[in-house]
Amino acid sequence: MSKSPTRLLVVDDEEDLELLIRQKFRRLIRQDEIDFVFAHNGKEALEKLAEHREIRLVLSDINMPVMDGLTLLSQLEEIRPEIRAVIVSAYGDMENIRTAMNRGAFDFVTKPIDFNDLEITIRKTLKHIETMQNALESRDRLVAITRELEVATQVQMSILPRDRSHSETHEIQAMMIPAREIGGDFYNYFSLDDALIGLIIADVSGKGIPAALFTMVTQTLLKGAVRNFASPARCLSEVNELLAEDNESCVFVTVFYGILDLRDGSFRYCNGGHNPPRLVRSDSGVEMLPTTGNVVLGVFPGHGYVDGEVQLNPGDTLFLYTDGISEAQNARSEEFGEERLDEKLTSLKQATARDVVNEVVDAVHLFVEDTPQSDDITCIALRFNAILSA
Amino acid sequence: MADESTLSIQTERVEKAVIVSPQGRVDGSNAAVLEGAIREQLEVGEKVLVFDFKDLNYISSAGLRVFLMTARRLQGEGGKTLFFGLSDPIAHIFEISGFSAILSIYDSRDDTLAAL
Repeated sequence: MSKSPTRLLVVDDEEDLELLIRQKFRRLIRQDEIDFVFAHNGKEALEKLAEHREIRLVLSDINMPVMDGLTLLSQLEEIRPEIRAVIVSAYGDMENIRTAMNRGAFDFVTKPIDFNDLEITIRKTLKHIETMQNALESRDRLVAITRELEVATQVQMSILPRDRSHSETHEIQAMMIPAREIGGDFYNYFSLDDALIGLIIADVSGKGIPAALFTMVTQTLLKGAVRNFASPARCLSEVNELLAEDNESCVFVTVFYGILDLRDGSFRYCNGGHNPPRLVRSDSGVEMLPTTGNVVLGVFPGHGYVDGEVQLNPGDTLFLYTDGISEAQNARSEEFGEERLDEKLTSLKQATARDVVNEVVDAVHLFVEDTPQSDDITCIALRFNAILSA
Repeated sequence: MADESTLSIQTERVEKAVIVSPQGRVDGSNAAVLEGAIREQLEVGEKVLVFDFKDLNYISSAGLRVFLMTARRLQGEGGKTLFFGLSDPIAHIFEISGFSAILSIYDSRDDTLAAL
């Protein structure tokens, strides 16, 4: 199998240069290593380049009729930036050589041409072009992979509930504002039966591709587990065991899962290392849901998750959030913090779930001003309106 | 004293352990550096690592992952991972994430070394 030769364009108004080059490089031409195309001025060069799109290396003289080498360089920079140019100029013509280098020439050789030196320069430039192309291809591949994962993440997100769930018994509103980099947070809410509402919020450690993959796996496992086990702790134990298998890199996920029973307002939950949700009492104040003393999922197999329980009264609101809210930073690197969050929630004791979510997120935005968001911002509010009548 | 925005790591061999002191901040941009420094200790067969968090100002979840990995690996090899000197914000993160229930955390260097 013979590979096709690398094609170079030589631009010079001296007619005998073509013969000279063909003769000096005849061995390489015969071995199909390189191949030359010739042009006699800048304009002709551009025509040849349009005809031979594969050319990546141009050797060009400076002083030529119609269009000179310096103009050609400027044009190349604009229309074919991937091309590398080597300038051929008279020894001592430093001023033009400097101008050429400033216009983006890769290297130069001087006349009279030393063909050994020219061959070395050509090889060096081709090597550079190859490295650059490989780097670009790798980058493009990485960008493509990242895009595909972003799409996959969006697909996963798109099956999460987005609309407000509103009935006589309860109201749920969620919001998620992803940071630029793919990653990390997810939430879900669902009816387990006529009387039971499940709520999940989670945050995977780290960012980028590993975090995105781990997020998808966790979401899928949780979906199965919530249908199989009535106890939140049992669900988290199950998912923890599966995630911890072969998790050498110790990526982990904080998960809070709770179930509200609409028949009596009892809320059973398990907290696997997640920021404790808040219970906004309509008649008193903001309480932090006691932790269940459990660790993040995915790292410690055999860890015993336990259920906790609180009693909700009609009018109370549960607020679940990720650290994208509490750790949102302003330009002075100050954090929004849990204190501000609790103050805000205290002022929203009588508000609807929709208002709670919107007002908290607004408060965070107001606090950070135009500082770029570095982490996903996610929260869900569940307002218990009334007991479900039998 | 370490620059607050970067990470520097010091290690000290004591009688029964190696004390590793990350100083500054550990986040996604430098977690690999910390991971490398710990791996060096594990590769020469150290079984007891003590982390001195006295001069650690900030730790992201990418940083926590490195300590979990270390704790889990040493646990599997019959070794130990101990921590002391946690600042209030870091102690809070350890509390919330449940690590304080699972990892061995002490108040001072003396307490930690006495526990060995």
